Amino acid sequence: MDYKQKSHLHPDLLNPAAANLNPDKLLGRWINTNWETRGIAECTVARDGDDISVSIIGVGEDGPIHWPTARATPLANLEEEAGQRTPAATATFDLGFMRADTHLRINKGVFVIVLFATFLDDSGRANYLNREFFYRHS
Amino acid sequence: MSNIQFAQLSDHIEVDPIKHIDPKALLGHWINSNPDTISIARINITEANGKLQLQVFAVGPDGPIDWGTATAEVFAPNPASSAGAGFTCTYDFGFAEARFQAMIMKGLLVLAQFHTFKDNSNRASYFMREYYAMTHEHF
Repeated sequence: MDYKQKSHLHPDLLNPAAANLNPDKLLGRWINTNWETRGIAECTVARDGDDISVSIIGVGEDGPIHWPTARATPLANLEEEAGQRTPAATATFDLGFMRADTHLRINKGVFVIVLFATFLDDSGRANYLNREFFYRHS
Repeated sequence: MSNIQFAQLSDHIEVDPIKHIDPKALLGHWINSNPDTISIARINITEANGKLQLQVFAVGPDGPIDWGTATAEVFAPNPASSAGAGFTCTYDFGFAEARFQAMIMKGLLVLAQFHTFKDNSNRASYFMREYYAMTHEHF
């Protein structure tokens, strides 16, 4: 088997149960812990066949901004964080003037979105990154 | 303000065009905080011809593996900043692809890796997140 690092040979990658690709822990509606955010207000993760869909609502000037829904593929997580081995996922949002590459994961029950924004217009804005935290809406 | 497009308020700014994000904070030799890592042991980051260049050394079963160099895209901490705070990069090995999303936090480089296999090995795509410290001689 080809490899470029030891983890490529990790036995759990061939064991679906151990790889924990079940995205159930990611599913749900997640609300930003920071009510003064100027970024993402909330995120909803839902099943979409074998994949999952991710819907984001940004904070706008006059109300919420609904981003186009993106499909995401769950990824196995080889490491435990706080005794958990929760899956992560990546999703890319095409907003026309901007592309947002994100990864999503859960750490100690907190849903984390890390966003890398690339501007595709000629606005002169810098491509930037951001990280925000979300709690599960009950 | 003009009709600049935005998807969240933090994007709704007008700036003098930022032509170059300074990668200075990213340049150097970064070593994994975990001596038992099964992933990337160290990363050398340089700038060449205005581009950010990564050279990755991973831990293999029989010793270090030099992944060679790849070009990375630099990201600022906000759309009005010209200071580099992170990068994205992709290594394509043919049988697999490794994508990186990295950011500096409290002096550490936090590297998220996404590995996808393109061969018929049936290995699951997976995620890793590790921390790197920049080596220095200040103390």
